[in-house]
Amino acid sequence: MKNLRITGRRIVPLTISVALVMLSAACGSSSNSSAGSTSSKSITVAVAYPSPPKALLAEFTKQTGIKVNWVNIGWDDLQTKIAAAMTAKTYFADATDVDWSKVGEYEKTGWFYPLNTWFSPSALSSDMPQVDTFVSDNKLMGVPFDSSFLVTTVNTKDFSKAGISTIPTTLAGFSAALKTVGTANGMANPLDIHLATAEGLSTCWYQMTAAFGGSVLSATDSPEFTSPSSPGYQAMNWMVNAYKSGLVAKGNINEADYTGFTTEMAKNRVAAELCDYSGSVASIYNVPASSSVVNQTEYVPTPGATGAGFNVANPDGIGIPKTAKNVPGAVAFIKWFTNTENQAIWAGLKGPSDVVSTFPLPARLSSFALLTKAGDIAQASELAAILRAHAKAPFPNGAPSWYVQFSSAVQTNIHEAAAGQETVQQAVSAIATTVQQLKSAG
Amino acid sequence: MSGPWSRRLLPYILVSPLVVFIGALSFVPTVDTTVEAFFRVMPLDPPTRFTGLGNFRDLFDNSSVLTSWVNTAVYVVVGVVLSVVFGTAIAMALKRRFRFRGVFLALVILPWALPAVVEAVIWNWIYNPTFGVMNNALHSLHLIGSYHVWLGLERWLTILLIEIVQVWQITPLSALIILAALQSVPPDLYEAARVDGAGAMQVFRRISLPLIRPAIAVAAVEALVLSLNIFDQVYILNGIAPLGSSVMLQTYVTTFQNLNFGGGYALSLLMTLATAVLSMATLALLYRRSQAVT
Repeated sequence: MKNLRITGRRIVPLTISVALVMLSAACGSSSNSSAGSTSSKSITVAVAYPSPPKALLAEFTKQTGIKVNWVNIGWDDLQTKIAAAMTAKTYFADATDVDWSKVGEYEKTGWFYPLNTWFSPSALSSDMPQVDTFVSDNKLMGVPFDSSFLVTTVNTKDFSKAGISTIPTTLAGFSAALKTVGTANGMANPLDIHLATAEGLSTCWYQMTAAFGGSVLSATDSPEFTSPSSPGYQAMNWMVNAYKSGLVAKGNINEADYTGFTTEMAKNRVAAELCDYSGSVASIYNVPASSSVVNQTEYVPTPGATGAGFNVANPDGIGIPKTAKNVPGAVAFIKWFTNTENQAIWAGLKGPSDVVSTFPLPARLSSFALLTKAGDIAQASELAAILRAHAKAPFPNGAPSWYVQFSSAVQTNIHEAAAGQETVQQAVSAIATTVQQLKSAG
Repeated sequence: MSGPWSRRLLPYILVSPLVVFIGALSFVPTVDTTVEAFFRVMPLDPPTRFTGLGNFRDLFDNSSVLTSWVNTAVYVVVGVVLSVVFGTAIAMALKRRFRFRGVFLALVILPWALPAVVEAVIWNWIYNPTFGVMNNALHSLHLIGSYHVWLGLERWLTILLIEIVQVWQITPLSALIILAALQSVPPDLYEAARVDGAGAMQVFRRISLPLIRPAIAVAAVEALVLSLNIFDQVYILNGIAPLGSSVMLQTYVTTFQNLNFGGGYALSLLMTLATAVLSMATLALLYRRSQAVT
């Protein structure tokens, strides 16, 4: 009895202490739930790119005294993380990805700081043609840190083998040429279009719509693809028919964009990519370790309905979430990451050891000039010309705040049309209905 | 503190830290989710406001959500039946001691030990229409004339192939649960049956099965819960296409892609209720049968 009383006296405070420790651990872990810095001498950068070389990040630290914690998260997962963290108002990074498609959304939700205090869009636009993509309601929501745009890439060796030295600039001519190329090279399906329900399918449709000479939404965000003669309708019809006719492999129904680039084009299973990303030639196809088509691919003018068409811009930007703990540090980092020389270095100015892996192209024309001079990037001057004159934003009014729901409807319905689960007319109607619902919901 | 009181209170005191911890981590979010399911919570359409059953009505008007419920029902039926049947077969095979039994047991557990995402990626390569092992093997054996696109074109085939991946993962758990029950069956019963001239099937039906029925019930409920909540395999193998979508995937799409948090809460609540009801029903059905037999 006596021993039990003594034991009881000891157990109760011990149990209470354990409970308090567990609760404080839970509370502590929830307030520091993300890996990242809490110090004014460090920042966390969360983007969908591997880190620049440590030596270069060390240079930034040396210049500013700020240490960079780099977090590389896949693009889709990063968007989820941003949405979850910002809704819960929790910290996860000081600087993070602002995709062109999210600009309207972030402006409306107020999740990111407008950067106008530190960066002037008008001052930047002459050197960064795509900066306007990141402006919504006069607020600069992100600074472009690459100049991604959709391009057409061909395997010139395959085309030469088929006796085609000049790549057709019309879609009709291009399709006919592809069939000849397929026969000459023993390729059953010479074209790659990725048809998985993913963002890449949506942007491919915008690209093909631009190739047909139009845009999917008007300046007032109304659908412009409902009429069978409209560029958007024709583009969707063309994509679905390319799949059903065998120009595109049946397996592409579940293939995402980078899978297509790395397993189809890079392995010479196809001879052309219609919705490739600028920079693929240098960062994927000319990399000997993973490509069978080194020095065989080239960017060509995007075939259009009546001649070379436009290229749709889909750049990534970098912005500062409202939960950031070191805003000055994030601003300093953005300035450093997007300056002329560094943008050229990420793309290969100082050789492969200093590149940022999978980095498409620099956001600045001045960086292109450095690369053209050094001769380091395949077709740098052609790409600069596309960036300057042909790369246009997918939507005249910028990405609407409801873009993500719109894109979800686009990719789902085009996928189902290609898979034969609905007709192109049904797909178009479903997407148009979604647009009307989203617009009326505000 | 008096002796009898301290003896009575001691278990509760010792358990209380864990109860508080688990309560904070699961009870509070559950209550929060239940409440928020009746509110319109959309960052793109503030402010948060009471909408009654509005979120639920919107879900039932959404064809993708309705498709996902039907798909999930199929995932559950296939998942529970296959994992319990295969689990029982594996348990029966591993019941007796034989050489390298430990190695086989480790191999059986391996799929369960791997993360679901890793397994889905592996099977994605197996199912790949261009260079996947499945097409290669079936074509080499002349079972198919040409390479087939397994996922994304035919609904039921897509669902079946996705569920096979999950069954591969959850069957080891069923096998272990049933094996543990088999090993607790008194050997005298088997001996007596053999003496009476019972064959292997009779021994299984009359002795093993009735005595392991509670374990089968537990295994079935585990498989039910895991199949109901299938997400990783669907996302990796099928993306967000409605064709093979599951309710959990739709919850993700609704919440994080469409930023409709109220809709996500409502779907989560419905899933929780479905899980609870079906689990209790399964347990009640199988336990009642096991008690009737014994």
